[in-house]
Amino acid sequence: MARYRLGIDIGGTFTDLHVMEEETGRLYALKTPSTREDPSLAVSNGIEELERRYGIAPADIAYFAHGTTLAVNTLLERNGAKAGVLMTKGFTDTLELRRLRLSKANDFFVPKPISLVPRRRVKPVDERMLADGRVRTAIRREDVEEQVAALLEDGIETLAISFLHAHQNPAHEAQAKAWIEETFPDLYVCTSSEVWPQQREYERSLISVINAYVGRRMKAYFHTLEKRTAGLGMTCRVFSTKSNGGVMAVSSAADRPVETLLSGPASGVIGAAYIGRLIGDPNIVTLDMGGTSVDVSIIQNEIRYSSENTVGDFPVIMPAVDVSAVGAGGGSIAWTDAEGVLKVGPESAGANPGPACYGRGGTRPAVTDAYMTAGIIAPDRFLGGEMQLDREAAHRAIDSIAGVLGMGRRETADAILQVTTANIYAELLPQMARRGVDTTGFSMLAYGAAGPTQTFMLARELNMRRVIVPPSPGILCALGCLVADLRADFVQSIWREADTMPDEELQAIYTRLEAQAREWLAEQNVDLEQVYILRSADLCYVGQSYEVNVPFPDTPSDALTTEGVAGWFHKQYARVYGYADTDTPARLLEARLQIVGVTPKPAIQLVAGAQEPHDGPLEKRTIFEHGAEVEADVWRRGSLKQGEVYEGPMVVEQYDTTIYIPPGFRVTVDDHANLIGELP
Amino acid sequence: MMNEKIRLEILLNRFQAIVDEMAQVVSRTAHTVFVKETQDYGAVLVSRGGEVFAAPRRYGVLMMIGMPMEAAIAACGEDVREGDVFISNDPDATKGMATHLSDVYLWKPIFVDGKLLCWTWSFIHVSDIGGRVPGSIAPSSTEVFQEGLRIPPQKLYVAGELNKALRDMILINTRTPDQNWGDMKACLAGLATAEKRVHELVAQYDYATIDATVDQVLDYAETQARRVIAHVPDGTYRYTDYIEADMVGLGLVRIHVAMTVKEGEMLLDFTGTAPQVRAALNIPTYGHHGHWMLITGLVNWICTQEPGIAYNAGIVRPLKVKIPKGTILNPEPGAAYGARYATSHKVCDVTVGALAQAVPMELPATDSGQGSILLVSVPDFRTGGHKVSVVQPIVGGSGGRPVGDGVDGTMVILNFLKNIPTEIFENEMSEIVIRSYGLREDSGGPGKYRGGTGIEIEFETSSPYTSITSRAMERYIFGPPGRLGGHMGATGYTTLNPGSNREKDLGKIDVLEMEPGDVLRIGTQGGGGFGDPLERPADKVAADVADGFVHADTARDAYGVVLGPDGGVDAAATTERRAAIRAERGWTTAPLYGLGAAREAHSARWTEELEDAIAAVVADMPVQLKQFLHRRLIDAITERLDDGRGMAAAEVPALLGDLRSAFENGRVAAE
Repeated sequence: MARYRLGIDIGGTFTDLHVMEEETGRLYALKTPSTREDPSLAVSNGIEELERRYGIAPADIAYFAHGTTLAVNTLLERNGAKAGVLMTKGFTDTLELRRLRLSKANDFFVPKPISLVPRRRVKPVDERMLADGRVRTAIRREDVEEQVAALLEDGIETLAISFLHAHQNPAHEAQAKAWIEETFPDLYVCTSSEVWPQQREYERSLISVINAYVGRRMKAYFHTLEKRTAGLGMTCRVFSTKSNGGVMAVSSAADRPVETLLSGPASGVIGAAYIGRLIGDPNIVTLDMGGTSVDVSIIQNEIRYSSENTVGDFPVIMPAVDVSAVGAGGGSIAWTDAEGVLKVGPESAGANPGPACYGRGGTRPAVTDAYMTAGIIAPDRFLGGEMQLDREAAHRAIDSIAGVLGMGRRETADAILQVTTANIYAELLPQMARRGVDTTGFSMLAYGAAGPTQTFMLARELNMRRVIVPPSPGILCALGCLVADLRADFVQSIWREADTMPDEELQAIYTRLEAQAREWLAEQNVDLEQVYILRSADLCYVGQSYEVNVPFPDTPSDALTTEGVAGWFHKQYARVYGYADTDTPARLLEARLQIVGVTPKPAIQLVAGAQEPHDGPLEKRTIFEHGAEVEADVWRRGSLKQGEVYEGPMVVEQYDTTIYIPPGFRVTVDDHANLIGELP
Repeated sequence: MMNEKIRLEILLNRFQAIVDEMAQVVSRTAHTVFVKETQDYGAVLVSRGGEVFAAPRRYGVLMMIGMPMEAAIAACGEDVREGDVFISNDPDATKGMATHLSDVYLWKPIFVDGKLLCWTWSFIHVSDIGGRVPGSIAPSSTEVFQEGLRIPPQKLYVAGELNKALRDMILINTRTPDQNWGDMKACLAGLATAEKRVHELVAQYDYATIDATVDQVLDYAETQARRVIAHVPDGTYRYTDYIEADMVGLGLVRIHVAMTVKEGEMLLDFTGTAPQVRAALNIPTYGHHGHWMLITGLVNWICTQEPGIAYNAGIVRPLKVKIPKGTILNPEPGAAYGARYATSHKVCDVTVGALAQAVPMELPATDSGQGSILLVSVPDFRTGGHKVSVVQPIVGGSGGRPVGDGVDGTMVILNFLKNIPTEIFENEMSEIVIRSYGLREDSGGPGKYRGGTGIEIEFETSSPYTSITSRAMERYIFGPPGRLGGHMGATGYTTLNPGSNREKDLGKIDVLEMEPGDVLRIGTQGGGGFGDPLERPADKVAADVADGFVHADTARDAYGVVLGPDGGVDAAATTERRAAIRAERGWTTAPLYGLGAAREAHSARWTEELEDAIAAVVADMPVQLKQFLHRRLIDAITERLDDGRGMAAAEVPALLGDLRSAFENGRVAAE
């Protein structure tokens, strides 16, 4: 009996399913419309469709991980629970003040940030810890209960507690929580020190507040999901993807939904990294281009993490796969300004009405209309022919600005694509510089519905000589779900000069983090192939404000020394900034520990699901791109042969995307069904 | 042949990518708190003609598009070679490119096949550049020589070779040589990045195309800016405000503008502005059109109106200025400049205030006007030295806006400022306990759109010789004006030991010494309100009261909203109360400015005519004489006004004549 691994990625428009047959590595892909009100309905629809279309029975699915945007949408749409917050007296405006900085410059009308919890539902508790964890003002039970009673009066459904310096001494938070659970047993309570004990009161508080805000809804969702999948006869446990690129059991996800906020983009990068490892390419820029945005990420042997992520207005300091948005997507609108200069975005036609060619009433030209008008996308073969595009509507939309530009229709479409490329270029390069990365020498791995369409044009502009398009680029996030490992992060703020800290204290901190980590892993209750622990610390030089994350060489927690850590810091600093300042004392800011439970993955030979007979090209098509007309062969993805060498210009069509390869690139198909394009 | 306008858009993006990348390289490679938390650095591309043709829109100091570089380029002379890097920080030698000594500027020519194409340029605000106080900037400095080392334009690198003698000379004159060299290296890394990228661009296109496009992007921005300006009705719009220089013993320093809008151009005539001061508040603009320290408000307005505008010096081309020599906005060489930010912010308020007469619905009411960084220093008994740390940026609320309320606790203009987590501060400085840090309730100016509230911070020291320094405290006398019926925001305050028998109102502070057990509380200004507060929906006022942004008595007195015991709106009482307020105030058209009682009382005594006359009679004197007689004149007029004798503008020349001869006779007598 065949066993399958299932990955599902729930997006705004589509729910993507990727199935891998464990023994053969054969992949099956499916897209089904998302169901906004109850996202788990699309999941069960998809699983039923798998059985109908491919004969994959739910009972044969041995592993199931899925990613949902429910938490992030709840946060962005501000329709979470009515939460209350307890904070240290004198600091109840922490959420209002944020870190002060505003999102946009040079804009008198920049939107005013609105706190997740209104000021009236943030109540002071007269207690105070000092920076070293000593009590300045003791906490009192009557005070706590009085404030909670007032909040309940106001109708709160959940409560977050965040006291100053609680990462250093969580006693007051724990005490308050215990009292509240005794007196108000039905109230959901979480504290900042239990969710993420990192120094910085705004960011730490926000994490517990977000948890309280999205928690109930996520719990209800996971409950429904498990009921549905069980109802279909699925017996395996359900996992949820995390912002850090790992997975966790949905029971853990229900307790810590904040860890799923950035899981969508993270899964894509996990999928990309998996492919990178498979084909032995260590340096990759991932390019995920969908309808409304382009996300990029860097892989240099390892995935990169960032603890400076944002969701909407909110910073999220838990480590997440480092992904940044760099501008326009396939739905971005092209327009001309008062001076007749062509612009693309930031406005997007989104999914509804979508580009004009979708025929849903859109009249303004979007990037996808330009792909079609330039000849790259065929109107009758979009989504494998499941969706007929409206050629006339696209032409009308393009013509509406061609007149202003004084250019022909095809020239206008080409200009839109060139400006789109320039937009992405302008956003992407500074992001790379911020990470100290020069893209020359990197390969670009493209996915998302439009990534493979745009990627070669962009690579040409960026001087990147190698492009990788995975077998099912439209649903790479779902692949990421099914190959992800169990992964959890733990933190403890230290903030001490390294040379004043006894080794025993350092060892005790890492030993405690490690115990927490192993306990977490045990709770996940999964058979694992391997477990490893990554220890690191954030350090900076005293008097400077730039911190560096220093990954430790594999050393047991009880063998760490502060001198050793400081030495690793000097080396890492020199690597990042070109020199180290060994005379200045190093300060230990955060101790970090990540546990990874590697799930067994069959030794697979990734192959595309449905191979087609190796025919020649479908047709020849005239494409107008980069200021010139070219005759391109149009191929079906499944009919490209391994071992053959193809030359651009060519178009490769497949179910979930269309790939355009300009002149000059040489294309092959590798052993894992990836399309590899190279500039000779 | 590609359509020129398509190429324009593509290359605009590519230029933007270069400067954004450059800015990222600079900030990633630099080390200091200034760079990270206050974004005090810059990175741009400059045309051969000295105009900034690409500048970051999100990173670093954003106003550099108005940086005049002609004089600095001219100072480089003929001997400019590939690999040269120039350095300067001197406002006088660069004629207003540098505006105080703490900003160290580096620039580099970009050659293509031996031909100069353009310049790349970068600066960082260094932690210290020498001078009489640590950090180099003190409002009380009276001349530039007290503010540190002046570096006239020099080659730091000669054809790629470091001029070690010059570097060492610079570094030995600062208190933070290692940090400064680190910062300079960050700038150099940025310059190298830009040079490499420009070369790539030329390889992809060609010299002539890039060269021509540099002019085109400048022209394009100019056209866009002119179109925005052209929709402003032609006319002359005047506005006056005051820098509160009482802290350095200079009273109120007048900033006056007459803004003439005509055919898509603006002329900002600052005639009537006070003489330059013997304090570090002067801005060395050298009278340059569109100088970056004069145009913050107008550039923000243009960019708000035209968000997609090409961000370069073309925007400031239509912004012409006229500033008499010897004034605080165009001082003679040698003046003190360190704390010129306060003045620049006031110029922003004045230009926006004037423009509001023409297009009130495109501009916010006035913001808190204070961008002060509060520093604390305590003795370090371990080392015998001092520990210094930033407590917080002490800023206030944004003005109410025609599209919504002002932002609470910070200013739209200072969007980049970040606060310091209390948990981090108390770790750095265990001698200080922050007792509270939050919004200052009820401080936002009432309006249909409420001004943002200020902030309040209170802290206690346990250390002897705790020293607090602050610069650019403002609006303790005249609060931020409201607009179109909106009220003034609250003024700032500083109180020592509030609520104790040692309580003392300190007003603005420059340097303050605190003893163990002392508590300091600072409250910042709320932004001015926008629109008639009686038009604010009553339920919004009730919500503001429930959230504590507005107090119930202000709801009743300023908004005319009466709340019931449950906090809900008492509709009948509210209608009645609002009618009563309307009847009492007696206007039908909302006044454009809500200046507040203190400013109105001041302006009733010190009329515009009188102020203009004072400025006019001293205008042409040599600078020291001007400063001296201007003070004497103000004192004499104050005396007459206090006596009730009154003072007509026409009497000013005679009074000055008397003062001058008294002084000259006195001097002769003394000799």
